[in-house]
Amino acid sequence: MTESGGFPYPGGGRFVGARVKRAEDPRLLTGEARYAADIQLPGMLAVAFVRATEAHARIESIDVTEALSLPGAVAVLTAADLDVAPVPLPFEFDGLAAPPQPALARNKVRFLGEPVAVVVAENRYQAEDIADRVRVRYDRLGVVVSPEAARAADAPLLFEDLGTNVLFERTESAGDVEGAFAEAAHVFRKTFHTNRFVACPMEGRGVVAHYEPRADHLKVWSSTQTPFLLRTTLAAVLPYPEHRLQVIVPEVGGGFGAKMSTYPEEVAVAAASLKLGRPLSWIEDRRENLLAANHAKEQQITLELALDTEGQILALRAEHVGDAGAYNFNSTSCLIEPFIGARNLPGVLRLRNYEWTVVSVATNRSPVGAFRAVGSTPGSTTRDAFLDEIARQLGIDVVKFFRKNMIRADEMPYHQATGQVYDSGDYIGSLDQAVELVDYAGFRRRQEEARSEGRYLGIGFSPFVEATGWGSEIAKSQGLPFSSHDNASVSVDPSGMVTVATSMASQGQGHETSFAQVAADVLGVDVATVRVTQGDTDVSPYGMGTFASRSAIIGGGSVLLAAEEVRKKVLAIAAKTLEASAEDLEIADGRVAVKGAPQRGLSYPEVAAIAHWDLGVRSDDDGHRLAATRFYDPPATFSNGCFVALVEVDPELGTVKLEKIVGVEDCGRVINPMIVEGQSHGAVAQAVGGALLEHMVYDENGGLITSTFMDYLLPTALDVPPIEIAHMETLAPHTAGGFKGMGEGGLMSAPGAIVCAVVDALSPFGAVLEELPLGPEQVARMAGSLATEGGHS
Amino acid sequence: MKPTPFEYHRAETTEEAVRLLVECGEEAKVLAGGQSLVPTMNLRLAQPSALIDIAGIGGLAGIAREGGSLRVGATTRQSAVLADPEIAVDAPMVAEALRWVGHEANRNRGTFGGSAAHADPAAEIPAVLVALGADLEITGPRGFRTVPAADFFVSFFTTSIEPDELLTAVRLPSRHGPWAFEEIARRHGDFALVGVAAALVVDEQGIVGACDLVLMGVDDVPWSAQAAQEVVVGNRVTPELAREARAVIESTVEPSSDVHASSCYRSHAAGVLVERALLKATGRKEQG
Ligand SMILES: Cc1cc2nc3c(=O)[nH]c(=O)nc-3n(C[C@H](O)[C@H](O)[C@H](O)COP(=O)(O)OP(=O)(O)OC[C@H]3O[C@@H](n4cnc5c(N)ncnc54)[C@H](O)[C@@H]3O)c2cc1C
Repeated sequence: MTESGGFPYPGGGRFVGARVKRAEDPRLLTGEARYAADIQLPGMLAVAFVRATEAHARIESIDVTEALSLPGAVAVLTAADLDVAPVPLPFEFDGLAAPPQPALARNKVRFLGEPVAVVVAENRYQAEDIADRVRVRYDRLGVVVSPEAARAADAPLLFEDLGTNVLFERTESAGDVEGAFAEAAHVFRKTFHTNRFVACPMEGRGVVAHYEPRADHLKVWSSTQTPFLLRTTLAAVLPYPEHRLQVIVPEVGGGFGAKMSTYPEEVAVAAASLKLGRPLSWIEDRRENLLAANHAKEQQITLELALDTEGQILALRAEHVGDAGAYNFNSTSCLIEPFIGARNLPGVLRLRNYEWTVVSVATNRSPVGAFRAVGSTPGSTTRDAFLDEIARQLGIDVVKFFRKNMIRADEMPYHQATGQVYDSGDYIGSLDQAVELVDYAGFRRRQEEARSEGRYLGIGFSPFVEATGWGSEIAKSQGLPFSSHDNASVSVDPSGMVTVATSMASQGQGHETSFAQVAADVLGVDVATVRVTQGDTDVSPYGMGTFASRSAIIGGGSVLLAAEEVRKKVLAIAAKTLEASAEDLEIADGRVAVKGAPQRGLSYPEVAAIAHWDLGVRSDDDGHRLAATRFYDPPATFSNGCFVALVEVDPELGTVKLEKIVGVEDCGRVINPMIVEGQSHGAVAQAVGGALLEHMVYDENGGLITSTFMDYLLPTALDVPPIEIAHMETLAPHTAGGFKGMGEGGLMSAPGAIVCAVVDALSPFGAVLEELPLGPEQVARMAGSLATEGGHS
Repeated sequence: MKPTPFEYHRAETTEEAVRLLVECGEEAKVLAGGQSLVPTMNLRLAQPSALIDIAGIGGLAGIAREGGSLRVGATTRQSAVLADPEIAVDAPMVAEALRWVGHEANRNRGTFGGSAAHADPAAEIPAVLVALGADLEITGPRGFRTVPAADFFVSFFTTSIEPDELLTAVRLPSRHGPWAFEEIARRHGDFALVGVAAALVVDEQGIVGACDLVLMGVDDVPWSAQAAQEVVVGNRVTPELAREARAVIESTVEPSSDVHASSCYRSHAAGVLVERALLKATGRKEQG
């Protein structure tokens, strides 16, 4: 077998690459699926949180007397009642001052919405009434709502012990940046400020915790992406013996990274159940989700680019300042925006000389954390807008400019200035295919014609490269060195049916389908005979879970490896029974038979029965049990592609109509094109929101203005244009099966494509990007239709 | 996001609803389609002691012709008004404006009267009612009265309905003159950033005899653009005149800023929309 797996397996290969309908959809589409909010246990109580109503204040006192007198009140627990340790960092990180977030605020609150107390009541209505009557007396402290304010000399400090609000600051460089700038024919510099937007999964967070004292068993259902990490974390902080702790992930209505870290609320609910010995349910509502689930995407990025006379990039400097919000929780959450942003910013560019500075600053806003295309959305968007603006100034067509500066296929594997090694791919080929799909030349003609009628069409390109898989190697190359791996078990039961158990935990990605496709092809059985189980720490083998485009590679890879081992066992048993050599056998359509003599064969049920019950075979070697568990920690692999947006802009009103978004995706071997396209569609929808609509706005007191869907504007189906996705398939040379990850490219790249398209449409007005997102006001201002900020036109 | 405790009463008749309103006192509220009231209660911004549900009152829903006007019962669902053939002919601007009100699901529950009674200054229906010169019928313990739309809207979310009164119907006069409804919202289905309901009377020579330009999203009530109306009346609508009206709007309107748009943008957009509405209403191609 090659490292890319044996696809197509002799006689098999029917399912990988096919548009297999998703096994999970019937229950999801009919409402049969059961989410955290559907869990009902005898004696279960409801939890609501008392949340900080100040952005920065000392807690003087908490009075629960009146609250406890209300109907349905069971308990109000504060930090003094729940003695749990804060969630620790999973690994040491040099230079990072990251005071963790306590489960409940202790002495001080640092952002509006921070959990202060757990209210337990008969039902959620009562719990909210009670929470309203918990009297917390605050002594207000100065509030900082921007990194600039937080870095000022006399700024109020979130963590007095640190003596600063700057949590991290580091400059790295590769090549001779200074020399390159000295030689440059052109130097451009610009500062961008990207908008703060959030994952907003359709289902918010939800935790049900059930402690049974006599069984000595703590069961926690959580709408999480990482059941095992949650189990390990809870065991450490509660503390509670990990082998007596079970985490179950019910159906999850979207995560997008926001359900990756362990949240204070998860710890608090589990701790409260331990204390009270009752099953508790906390179902997050939308306001809590907008206030206190992690925020994302906001960075201030200053770029400086050196070019030669031909428009060839010589060097780049980048400074990424991240607004960490009030805490670093669990992971290196305060870093991931600016740190990963700076590292991935060069992307598809052939870059020898790069200097990047990363700063993370604590402010009195909701903590920042992972959200699809972590860090990379702001980086890509600003890079694309910057390059687009420069190309226009130099009078070079932007596609030509990209092509001139992009890494060529014959340069693979490519050592990027950041230290990442891009394994494979034809980046320019992806761009070229996108150019062809949108009929670029035809579009430019159409654009000319429209302009003569007073209509403004625009096009924007964003080629991307996406670090996927997040095994230990890629984590290290991203500068966040943690051990990252997963396991899968594949077993054939006595009736010949196949069960796959994986440590991945789907939030809607279709693991039950794609992992079944992989296992079915390796084993040579029908996909319908494979069932995938996940998300229960009592059932699945240990692993990290589903985030960072890692499931296809690590989940798919571990399933492939385990299935290959089972395949060998199947062949061995059949060989013995059929008195043939294993090399002379092939497996197809659920039957193992001698090549060229199909009548000399055994069905899977027959092989399985023999393996389990035939003493002659079974006693021979206990290795014949038809099961295997395999661990996988893959080498780094990078996907790539290109998104293109076509828009029409009304320069007077500033409205943007998206005509179409086209994407080319190369994620290595495609397991299921329909699932890949679905991932791209979803990412594009979020890109539309990020580019045009979504922004978390705070007032100067740290109050969140956009705390409902009236003000925080998600795109609806009406706002998402037709999307076309085309596939390229450059097999990953080093991963099992040749799989690369995907799912984030659309949100990494489509926002930049949309932004550039709007700027392109308004190029007759000399427009450049100033402010995000591109609401009508920002666009009208770019078009020069409005006077300067604040003034009357 | 759960409401505070409240009593719930379902009225069978208008009389019963009024009696319940009196009995339950000032903290009680009428519940119609719930599309504005329920979200506000869930956010605990409204904490009524009791709800008097009027959606089940037989006589309150439906559209009837009365003389020269159409009488729309207060609890007629917005979607029913939107689909009504007589509305399409006699009050086409109402149908056009309703397409901008939320989404199908909201309009299936939201009532026509509820939209008027709620009196959001950025809502479409109130502006249209003022532009068309509609009358609102109100019933209470002190009897029945009719209020012209221009007097009905008092301030943000405040109308001339007293706490113990009920809006029972809206009378829409039939107007067949040129009209246009223009709006800009952040997304389809959102409340207007700015919008304009324009209803004109134009003679055979093309001279404008009357012009109602009512803006939403620029004041605490639907805003009649007096100065701009005066520019238009007595003249033919030309691109130049429309531009002039636009300039007048931009210099007279004083909208406030919020998270979605500044005062500056709203003034500008109000001008643009009025210009476009005038040209659209009179069927002239926009130029320049
Ligand atoms: C997602 C969404 C989008 C929306 N978008 C828009 C939009 O774009 N434009 C827009 O205009 N609206 C919009 N709305 C609001 C919607 O149009 C409401 O239906 C309408 O504002 C209120 O009508 P209702 O029947 O639902 O009234 P309710 O919500 O039941 O009541 C609203 C208020 O009016 C009072 N009231 C209602 N009926 C009467 C009556 N007959 N007599 C006295 N008082 C009464 C109630 O006491 C309450 O104070 C939206 C709503 C949602 C949920």
